[in-house]
Amino acid sequence: MSDRTKILLLLAPALSIIILLFFGGLFVGLLRSFNYMPIIGLTEPNLNAYFSVFQSKEFYYSFILSFHIAFTSTIISATLAIGAALLLRRNFIGKSIINFLFQINLTVPHLVGAIGILYLFSQSGSFARLAAEWGMITRPAEFPELVFDPYAIGIILQYVWKEIPFIGVIVLANMQSLGEDYESVARSLGANKWQTFRYVLLPLIFPGVLSASVIVFAFTFGAYEIPAMLGANYPAALPVLAYRKYTDVDLAARPEAMAMAIVIALLSAVMIFFYLRYTRKRIRG
Amino acid sequence: MLEKPTLLSNSFRFITIAMLITWLIMPLVPLAIWSFAKGWFFPLILPKYWSLNAWNYALSDTAGVLESLWLTIFISASATILSIMIGVPAGRALGMYKFKGKEYVELLILAPTIVPGIAVVLGIHSVFISIGLTNTIPGVILVHLIPTLPYMTLVMSGIFSNFDPDFESQARSLGASPLKTFYYITLPSILPGIIVGGLFAFLVSWSQYILTLMIGGGRVITLPLLLFSFATSGRNDITGAIGMIYILPGIIILILTARHLSGRSAVGGFGRI
Amino acid sequence: MTHVSIKNLTKVYPGLTVPSLDNLSLEINSGSLTALLGPSGCGKTTTMKMIAGLLDQTSGDVTFDGTSILKEKPENRGVVMVFQNHLLFPYMNVQDNIGFGLKMRNVHKDEIFNRVIKMLDLVKLPNMENRMPKELSGGQQQRVALARALIVQPRVLLLDEPLSNLDAHLRFEMRDLIRNLQQSMGITTIFVTHDQEEAVVLADQVALILDGKLKQYAQPDVFYKKPIDVVTAKFFGGQNFIKGTSKNNNFSSNIGKLALPKDCLQGNGILTFRPENVQIGKGPKSVNTIKAKIIEKIFLGTQTRLKLSIKDEVIQAIANPNEVDEKETGIEIDINIPPSCLWVINN
Repeated sequence: MSDRTKILLLLAPALSIIILLFFGGLFVGLLRSFNYMPIIGLTEPNLNAYFSVFQSKEFYYSFILSFHIAFTSTIISATLAIGAALLLRRNFIGKSIINFLFQINLTVPHLVGAIGILYLFSQSGSFARLAAEWGMITRPAEFPELVFDPYAIGIILQYVWKEIPFIGVIVLANMQSLGEDYESVARSLGANKWQTFRYVLLPLIFPGVLSASVIVFAFTFGAYEIPAMLGANYPAALPVLAYRKYTDVDLAARPEAMAMAIVIALLSAVMIFFYLRYTRKRIRG
Repeated sequence: MLEKPTLLSNSFRFITIAMLITWLIMPLVPLAIWSFAKGWFFPLILPKYWSLNAWNYALSDTAGVLESLWLTIFISASATILSIMIGVPAGRALGMYKFKGKEYVELLILAPTIVPGIAVVLGIHSVFISIGLTNTIPGVILVHLIPTLPYMTLVMSGIFSNFDPDFESQARSLGASPLKTFYYITLPSILPGIIVGGLFAFLVSWSQYILTLMIGGGRVITLPLLLFSFATSGRNDITGAIGMIYILPGIIILILTARHLSGRSAVGGFGRI
Repeated sequence: MTHVSIKNLTKVYPGLTVPSLDNLSLEINSGSLTALLGPSGCGKTTTMKMIAGLLDQTSGDVTFDGTSILKEKPENRGVVMVFQNHLLFPYMNVQDNIGFGLKMRNVHKDEIFNRVIKMLDLVKLPNMENRMPKELSGGQQQRVALARALIVQPRVLLLDEPLSNLDAHLRFEMRDLIRNLQQSMGITTIFVTHDQEEAVVLADQVALILDGKLKQYAQPDVFYKKPIDVVTAKFFGGQNFIKGTSKNNNFSSNIGKLALPKDCLQGNGILTFRPENVQIGKGPKSVNTIKAKIIEKIFLGTQTRLKLSIKDEVIQAIANPNEVDEKETGIEIDINIPPSCLWVINN
């Protein structure tokens, strides 16, 4: 058997499943977003769904909200993750226990974190109760709205909670494989601590941070259950809006849902582009 | 060490690490407390009464929580086994061979790990309706392959790229058949990778929400769906108990595999949990 | 010009009981080039990192021109360390790498550029300023690393195994470059190496460190001519050690009585001489002529190694292949060892 046939046989099952399910799903979604569905007699593709989506204020609010959620969560998580990695890279007593605790929520599903955030930050949650105990508020309604709020604070808190260890573990592994020698060189050439971080360590770990951030951005932009649990009813995050449109009693709304799914897919495609650009660069470098 | 620890920098480090860990553990605390609470109303800092009611309910045969737990285990285990069976050969092709168009194949496999489920599942739903896979367990298992299979393939590709094919050639030249070569030479080398990758693939499937919701159509109720509905219906005590049950496998797996986490390929999967 | 003085410098790593560096004291003259020589793990890199401020000492002191520097931060010591694997910042081009130290000192961009260009000329890499590190050969990377260190005009330059990553033909080129730059700029330079040849080729003074302790600190040739003990002699390729007694400038042993140079130790000791100083076929008239039997002959291309037996002793000699071409294994020959090539080590 030639190598070519062998490779083909090895890859065939995986590729057919991914192509059929993933790309098939995308493709059917694309067709339906063009109102094209021969099975139910729709044979004339058109852009009506896109027109109606792009003309609705609701879509723009949802898009901006989802972008805000993804952008803010990613930036805060990445920044804090770098800080956490800087703290945890040194040796100290109890390091292995701290490392375990740092990683513990990697395996805790987002949904559980979302419920935890709800119980901590809602107007009758733990923090509101503490505020009442200290006499800062008397009724739950006096506590600031941190979940179900229009700025998606609860959602962002949940993502920051969940993604600090995710990015942190990647950055930590990155730092450990780099070692301290580059920083030693910089210090010996006259850079102070801050300059060493700014001009040497940060550029060295940047590709790793960026590729992890891309994964986080795409996830936080497109996840459903967290904004469904912690988000305001209006505006809803884009995935929530798409789901609502799809499950609307009015079947005519389905192509609009598909159009929104395509928008999410396109944004992810941009993310994949960045991901590849920076991971490839790292491999080459 | 570049930094000379001083009393000040040590206490700063200690305080920041303590704050970080507190923040990471904190959201799990009210869930744990709620599962043992009875009548924990505003503004009580701690429950007035403690009770095992929520746990009795969750672990009773009639409530459906256990049923949902077994179902979720079945779905995740099935998706994992399928991912291993399909992902190991594909990982071998990607990790051990160079071929034309390899980067495009890698792109095809990478894409599902980044593109959110909602973007593909709506299209899949409309196809699955017509072939009768919606509202079925096989349909849910199949759709869970979208995140788990690419993950498993990428992990195995990393494992195989560190595997020296000359070991196989050596075994063959010593008279081992291809099957025996795989069993005695290849499998022992890649088994740790399969186990760690498989455990994480299990967790990836374990944490799926929107894929199950759409394809299961409310008939296939996995733990996260059950958890969501209890959380939004205000049964905080039962939510707490289910939440604790739900995070248990992940924590066990983390304890089993903590030392493998420094390897980057495995960590990537956590982007989808 | 900076005189470096290392006083009782000691390092005990946390968790270890044996010091990795034990009471090292060295006086290093202004503008000299000094090698810290020893096998890996002997404490030489530890010493260098402590001087650079990249590692804390357990005890002892390091002074530059009489002033202790150990309290200074690494960036304020005026010490630059060049690492063995060059460690050019991979995302910066050659120009930014070399200019790094000046940028950290907030030197103006135009001045950095001018000085980088001059530096590139000095290290013989003209017009390379826009290359990326990965586009350079190992030798070029080494020179960029050297330029990056020299441009900040350090008081003391530390080099970690400066020649060991280079091919044989590049070593002499780099050796000359380092020597020339170091001497023209007058920078006190300390380098570490595990390779005695590298130390001898490059250094004014060599400090041999074994198991964290200073064995001998001297000019390179002394290690060949007058090693302090058997271990030191062996480290420099010494192979002949014969027990006996030194008295009145004569050494009596199994192989007979040999004339010694004047300043040798008296009493019981070990006679040592280099294999290459055993002369063959000079005739019986010279001093220190002995009869030896060839028991093994190995042709090595440019030289021939001989194993000779003299009574019960076996000695090693290196000869010119032409001189021993016709001498077969088993025959007896005359050998000479000039008194000036003999040395007696304390027992």
